[in-house]
Amino acid sequence: MAVYKRGYQRYQGPVTGHYTRLMAMPRYAWERLFQQRLMIVLTAVSCLWPLLCAVFIYISNHSELWAGLGGGLKKMLAIDAAFFLVYMNVQSAFCILLAALAGPGLIAPDLSNNALPLYFSRPLSRLDYVAARMMTLIGMLSLVTWLPGLILFGMQIGMANSGWFAAHWHYGAGLIAGFFIWILIVSMVALASSAYVKWRLIAGALILGFFFVLAGAARMINGIFRVEWGSVINPAMAAYTVWCALLGKEIPEGMDISTSLLCLGGLIAALGLILERKLRPVEVIS
Amino acid sequence: MSGYEIVFEDVSKFYGEVLGVNRVNLNVPPGITSLVGPNGSGKTTLMNLMCGLIHPDRGAISVRGLSPRDPEHMMRITGYATQFDAAPRWATGFDFVTTALLLFGYSRKEAERKAWKAIEQVNLTDAATRKVAGYSKGMRQRIRLAQAIAHDPQVLVLDEPLNGLDPLVRAETIALFRQFAAEGRHVILSSHVLQEVDVISDQVILIANGMIVAEGEIRGVRDEISEHPSQFIIRCRDASRIASLLFNEEHVTEVRLNDDRLGLLVLTRNREEFSRALSRIALAGHDIDGVIPADENVDALYEYLIGGAR
Amino acid sequence: MTTRFRARQAWTIATLEMRRAFFSKRAFWVYLLAFFPAFIFIGHGVSLQWQIKRFNARGKVAPAIIDSFKPGMTEREIIALAGNPQSDHEYTRRQREDDDEDESTGKRVIVEKTLHIRFLEYWDGNRRSYLRFENGVLKSARTRNPFDFQEDRSVYAGVFQLFYLRLAIFFGCLGIFMNLFRGEMLDKTLHFWFLAPARREVLLVGKYLAGLTASSVIFTSGALLSFFAVLWPHSGMEVQAFWQGPGVEHMLRYALAAALGCVGYGSVFLAAGLLLRNPIIPAAVLLVWEGINGFLPDILQKLSVLYYLQSLCPVPAPLESDTPALLKLILAPAAPASPWLAVPGLLVVTVLVLWAAAQAVKRLEINYSTE
Repeated sequence: MAVYKRGYQRYQGPVTGHYTRLMAMPRYAWERLFQQRLMIVLTAVSCLWPLLCAVFIYISNHSELWAGLGGGLKKMLAIDAAFFLVYMNVQSAFCILLAALAGPGLIAPDLSNNALPLYFSRPLSRLDYVAARMMTLIGMLSLVTWLPGLILFGMQIGMANSGWFAAHWHYGAGLIAGFFIWILIVSMVALASSAYVKWRLIAGALILGFFFVLAGAARMINGIFRVEWGSVINPAMAAYTVWCALLGKEIPEGMDISTSLLCLGGLIAALGLILERKLRPVEVIS
Repeated sequence: MSGYEIVFEDVSKFYGEVLGVNRVNLNVPPGITSLVGPNGSGKTTLMNLMCGLIHPDRGAISVRGLSPRDPEHMMRITGYATQFDAAPRWATGFDFVTTALLLFGYSRKEAERKAWKAIEQVNLTDAATRKVAGYSKGMRQRIRLAQAIAHDPQVLVLDEPLNGLDPLVRAETIALFRQFAAEGRHVILSSHVLQEVDVISDQVILIANGMIVAEGEIRGVRDEISEHPSQFIIRCRDASRIASLLFNEEHVTEVRLNDDRLGLLVLTRNREEFSRALSRIALAGHDIDGVIPADENVDALYEYLIGGAR
Repeated sequence: MTTRFRARQAWTIATLEMRRAFFSKRAFWVYLLAFFPAFIFIGHGVSLQWQIKRFNARGKVAPAIIDSFKPGMTEREIIALAGNPQSDHEYTRRQREDDDEDESTGKRVIVEKTLHIRFLEYWDGNRRSYLRFENGVLKSARTRNPFDFQEDRSVYAGVFQLFYLRLAIFFGCLGIFMNLFRGEMLDKTLHFWFLAPARREVLLVGKYLAGLTASSVIFTSGALLSFFAVLWPHSGMEVQAFWQGPGVEHMLRYALAAALGCVGYGSVFLAAGLLLRNPIIPAAVLLVWEGINGFLPDILQKLSVLYYLQSLCPVPAPLESDTPALLKLILAPAAPASPWLAVPGLLVVTVLVLWAAAQAVKRLEINYSTE
């Protein structure tokens, strides 16, 4: 009699669903990330600007606090597209720092310890793996981007007159959509860097360098050629252009919305390609 | 501290809250010394402390009168083949050994000569010009050994040196260790293969949970273990009769007859009394073909001293 | 052991490590950072010569016509005056603006405008005029000589200070110097060095020398190649006059600033790699600190590597034309340090940082499992 017929019985009880299994990875990753003191400090610091913005909204909606001051101040204190753009700009920078700290640890250790075959020998596809890793970053970056942004937007709705929401609902929609685009880009850069270099440290530097060096290189090209099209290699500029369009603000010169979307789409595709090439269940012996 | 011994004086090492080794006092004379203990018992920690890769939190270590905090002098007389299975990506086996020798101040020509000699000793000449990154586990083990012996050290420290070696190379490597020990040098090695430790070692250090359980020659260590009865195998024709005679002795705790009735296993609490009793039986005309101690080996020591700790 | 023997050991370590710093696959990114500005300058020179050929082939207008373009003129007037342009492109955009609150209703008034924007370009043999029209009316005319030597030198100064020193050398040194110790810990090969009969300080000096030699050679070459690429498209007379004047001094100052950048940032990143397990956030803080250097009060400006390096640069970096006037006031740089202060100052800081790194490397233990 075959051994399995005597002793082996497959588990036949209930199993959790696909998405529940998928969420196990981010759940553990969040737990691990927030055990790091530096991560908690950086997340807390990232919430300072939203707090200041909340104070600003309060002051802006309590005209008695600044009654008698000039009309220029009134315009400056307005809660408009420019206000939300400034908020988004500041928080997007914190996004990069958080991704540089958290992102490298998501894939690089799995690659350098040859752990991918272990993951893929479970009911988990490569796409699931990337999605789970990305969920970790999306969840974490949401904490400092659209979630506080939405609270600010809600605060403004509550404090402003009744017609404000009807006239400005697109600020809220633009804020969420804009941040989702940004979080997607930052997460993809972080995951691709983590998969590309294997070393957490260098992956972190690569994430920072990607945004800072590309921005610098774009300015350099614009300066040397005396043009504006150099900005196409600056993902931050492309995202800013999209945000302007979403919030109904004038688009800065040098980039139009379609070029920006094309740049961002191309970037995401290129990063996806890197992930596709690097995340293979092979064991590298070196 | 003696100039020819390796001395640990009340050495402790903690990794954060995890114990590495605790209050270790050792005097290791020249010869082959084996560190024996279960995984995580502190063998590698002891070796790393000895070679200055980690520093003790308390206590002092001296390697033939030199401090591990002074690698400039100590590593001149010490060679260490670690268990870390990594090698520089760029290096061929030959480069790997030569590079280390250049730091000793040898000219390139002399470094290359010594490197070839060491590579020959570990029987890796054919693969010497290939990148280490492409070596098998056993080859990487041998090239690390070559690097450790290339400068002709007085103290050779080897972490699991026989792992991954095929039987032929294993025998050659053991012969090399014996040659080193015969020249009055220290060879300190850790191993899980207890039979080999038994055959190779002049002395053993048993370690468990970061503490030294026993040290010294195997026979000496066995003698000091009083709570476990000594075991002897007796080969004889009249096994049943001898068994009944021995069973009357007070110090004998157990006698087991072999199935073939031509031998028996005796457990005794007093080796000297047992020896006298056996003489009496022989003089009474019973044929005894041979007496072999059954537990004077590392396996038994390990079982007695560490088995409970596992 | 004599000092000479230790120096020889350090040099042996340096030569072994240099191979890794210069020729490893990872060095590709460092080369890219170092030589990217040179490629762009060369590209600019090539494109200028090609454009001039194309402009001359399409015809020129009289210089007086270009001088007569004034904001407020219409597209038709310009085309009637100057004829067919060198280039012509246009697009339409919608602009949405919030206006003040309507007092009566309390609601905000949103104004939406449609803008038709058109660009025309003219060439008089020496100057290009780039005209921007909004709804048919000339809003701005930018006229410039594409071979303006002075302007090109100023652009180079900007690229050198804002891209080269602040980003390329910064990230290049981060890659090279952190690789020296932290990289070996990640590769689990650092113990080979620690098992050599060499003092840890000697190992540190050897590795630093290797990183410094590699980074200085790579970045100084990149800076000089860019410098020559800036000069290349200009006329022989201008370049000759430059070499007879301040040319050699400028070249040497840029080379010195690049090399000292490697000295300063190199020591900082070497120490960070030894002292911190995750030096990325401190590196980011340093990057931001160096980035906002120009916004800081005089005294704080002097606490950055960039301040001393910029003091060595012969030409100040131009401010962006779109920098707000208020910001321009704040951005006024602190008085540059004299080179006699900047160079020793930077070297003293480097020695102090290396001393701290030496203390760290002496205490360093091999414990790869925590990496």
